Amino acid sequence: MSIKIAVIQFPGANCDLDTIHVLKDVMHIDVDLIWHNYFKESKYDGVILPGGFSFGDYLRSGIIAAHSPAIDEAKIMVKDGRPVIGICNGCQILAEAQFLPGAFLHNESLKFICKWINLKVENNNTAFSNKMNTGDVLALPIAHAEGRYFNDNVEELEENNQIVFRYSTEKGELTKDSNPNGSLANIAGICNLEQNCIGLMPHPERASEAIITPKRTTHGLLFFESIIEFIKRRIS
Amino acid sequence: MTKIKLNGEEAHVEMTKGEFERVKELLGRDPSITELGAFDVMWSEHCSYKSSRPKLKLFEDAEANYDYVLAGPGQDAGVIDIGDGYALAFRIESHNHPSAIEPYHGAATGIGGIIRDILCMGVRPIALLDPLRFGKLKNNPHSQWLFKYVVKGIADYGNCTGIPTIGGEVEFDESFDSNCLINVACIGLGTIEDFKHAPSRAYNAGDYVILMGGSTGRDGIHGVTFASRTLTEISEADRPAVQIGDPFTKKLIIEATLEAVKTGFVRGLKDLGGGGLTCATSELTGDGNTGAKVDLRKVFTREPGMTSYEIMLSESQERMTFIVKPEGLDTVLDIFRKFEMSFAVIGRTNDSKVLKVFDGDNLVVNLPSKALSESPTFKRQERRPLYLDKLISQKTPDLTLDLEEIIYKLIASENICNKEWIYRQYDHEVGVRSVVKCGEGDSGVLRIIGTDKFISASVGVNSKHCFLDPNEGTRGGLVEECGNVIANGAKPMAMVNCCNFGNPEIPESFWYFSKAVEGMNDFCRTMRIPIVGGNVSFYNEDEVKKTAIKATPMIMIVGLIEGEKNIITLPFKKAGDDLFLIGETKAELGGSEYHSVIYDLEGGIPPKVDEAKIKATWDIMFELYRNGMVKANHDVNKGGFIITIAEMCFKNYLGAELDLNNCFDENIRDDEFLFSESYGRFIIETDTNDHDTILKLAKKYDVNVKKIGVLISNPEIIVKGLRNNDIKLDVQKLKENFDSTIPNLMEI
Repeated sequence: MSIKIAVIQFPGANCDLDTIHVLKDVMHIDVDLIWHNYFKESKYDGVILPGGFSFGDYLRSGIIAAHSPAIDEAKIMVKDGRPVIGICNGCQILAEAQFLPGAFLHNESLKFICKWINLKVENNNTAFSNKMNTGDVLALPIAHAEGRYFNDNVEELEENNQIVFRYSTEKGELTKDSNPNGSLANIAGICNLEQNCIGLMPHPERASEAIITPKRTTHGLLFFESIIEFIKRRIS
Repeated sequence: MTKIKLNGEEAHVEMTKGEFERVKELLGRDPSITELGAFDVMWSEHCSYKSSRPKLKLFEDAEANYDYVLAGPGQDAGVIDIGDGYALAFRIESHNHPSAIEPYHGAATGIGGIIRDILCMGVRPIALLDPLRFGKLKNNPHSQWLFKYVVKGIADYGNCTGIPTIGGEVEFDESFDSNCLINVACIGLGTIEDFKHAPSRAYNAGDYVILMGGSTGRDGIHGVTFASRTLTEISEADRPAVQIGDPFTKKLIIEATLEAVKTGFVRGLKDLGGGGLTCATSELTGDGNTGAKVDLRKVFTREPGMTSYEIMLSESQERMTFIVKPEGLDTVLDIFRKFEMSFAVIGRTNDSKVLKVFDGDNLVVNLPSKALSESPTFKRQERRPLYLDKLISQKTPDLTLDLEEIIYKLIASENICNKEWIYRQYDHEVGVRSVVKCGEGDSGVLRIIGTDKFISASVGVNSKHCFLDPNEGTRGGLVEECGNVIANGAKPMAMVNCCNFGNPEIPESFWYFSKAVEGMNDFCRTMRIPIVGGNVSFYNEDEVKKTAIKATPMIMIVGLIEGEKNIITLPFKKAGDDLFLIGETKAELGGSEYHSVIYDLEGGIPPKVDEAKIKATWDIMFELYRNGMVKANHDVNKGGFIITIAEMCFKNYLGAELDLNNCFDENIRDDEFLFSESYGRFIIETDTNDHDTILKLAKKYDVNVKKIGVLISNPEIIVKGLRNNDIKLDVQKLKENFDSTIPNLMEI
């Protein structure tokens, strides 16, 4: 059984090659980089929408990419239970495409923020978190200007277990100071009801090799390993 | 402005009457209006380096003198061979004048321009660095406005294109009140084959000339001649001369260009920057010894009715010219189509050595290809300013203030304090190469994926030192930037510079440039560092106040680290370890932050550079590295070594107990020792077991090496052995002062 993953290249994507690097060079996974107009879902077991500034994010982050034909293809994958993952701009696109609930607004500081944060795992059943334990605290960097999660019904998200990751302190406390962008309830990552479509603002592909992480951790790998694990469970 | 008669009509040009006569002589006739515009732009200071060229001849031979230099001065970027089949391209340039008028778009398009310069070497841009100068921030809303929007302009453009901003430098000083400096540097990485594929020349007849990218509009027409004038009140009205950047299109241009270069069908590549299509077509054919026939009606314009003059001189952003082999035309165009980039085949090269530009059936430019690049040069007068003697004779006042108070104040000063407010806004991680990140070391360190090699880059110079002595100050800047890459374990490989000076027609201003260039040349030759590129920005002069900026010959050094284990970082690691001060501390407070922050003094004798001693210091550092003895290293810079030590304590929240008995000469005062900005010094952390070996090596290399103390777990810095009382500093309070300055000024 061979697993094949697609990474979509929207015009303006800029974490596409980084994501490919981790999947291919670090994890030795079979992966294709595909221009958004050329993407066809049938060949793939899972798809990742990488970070960047799709279509320049001139109108609103992710809104134009959410109308790409690639999203129609991804929709088929969401429906039949294959993993559909959005990282940073990819996460914004999935929210704009309404695969995920809520929206991502301008950071509270109104500035772009690039920094390492701590991320607490809230739900380890998803296609992007099954290799973790609930309550784990992971080190990942964020790099975004529009990452402030908003939703007018956070209780429903909690009831449905759709909050996958939250910003926290190193010890896992959900404080205001540990919330870098003012996200509602410190939310950093969410999923659909079926838990196969997940959006995450921080960048696991930047946290997958010890040499580029501040404390020589490789927490980012857990995310990609979760995708593979999810696919294996699904096919078997 | 000069008034001239052209075909019986009066025209205003930037060129002198003499230059206009030269044009007529060259052509044997009156130029057409489009040709006149072309000459006017291409012979401007910005494009032709007519004042600086005679002096810059000093740098011409880098390619001949160093076997690893693949491209040297005069090309779009310097390129070096870093082994394993990889080539590294880098360049720095200024975008000062546009940013002073419109900081956001000025800075953004500065980034856009430097990215194109790297891209046209056929390699992928992988890092940006931005050294900046503004007036002081405190009580200065204008400076705050410039600072805020310049940083935002860099962030928005760099972040969107996916190129990490890995470093920079900033100084705040009154002389930059109305002339801020926005220098932008870019580093590119590719294989040597990529680089060889795409020279900036059209050397083959019969190739297609393709314009790709953004459309051509009326923006930026005469932006170049505008940059070669001094800014005046009227400049606000020049706003249309500042272009608007589009980082999204730039990102697509990067990807489309790199994909096209990989096909092997691209024979030449040139970006459209200053001088627009005029500059690109004339330089491609001029340097390639060919000619070309170009039709302007093929150019896709942003609005109808643009004249040939406007199309040829437009400086609209995000455009590239490709010279493509006939057999590869379809392949290359298909790549452009995939990325949905606009393009037009605008002409073909030929062997006529003449550039013919048609507007439909009308021949509007008919010039020998090389004519536009053969501008006259000027031998400018130079004279040492009279005010310098008085400034240099300023003495440090007697020390009557409390040393602890001084240190707490110094570490919070605008030029020393934490610059996190800036780099948090820059994506400095994209590309997954950043190993030593912003704020974690003296330089930015990137890995070369697939190898065990790392590159290190640092940029800056001390404008206060250069103002007092441009020769020593420039050499000092080189010591400092080399020191920054050495502190992270790298060997300095090559240098590029961006010379920011006043009006070259004023002898005092030109003297600064001349002395700085001589200093650069002397130092680099002695230390065997190739100068592979440069840029000159003159006319940074305030016409109202009649003052020039402090001379700022910005220097970027790129270094190489072989092996991950050889990367050294800044923070102190472990209590109990020894601290050594490497290099000699002299009573050199001229132009120091101590003088400026505590006494509001600009003068004094600035630090001097002794190349032989610097060489010995570098040699001992490399031997210590080879022996694996250095656990942390930080180059001593503004504020002196006491500030350096404080900065090293912050990350791991350690303290230091210093005993300075026998560490300094008896005729040096406490403040002179603590705050001196003598060049070529490092603070290193070492294991106590290595103590004796280190002192033995100091003798061997004849370098001043003093054990100054030990690290302690208690977060305080205790200094004993001063002439005055012992001092005790709280690391927490130092850190708070260090961190709060810029947020307090900018976040209101």
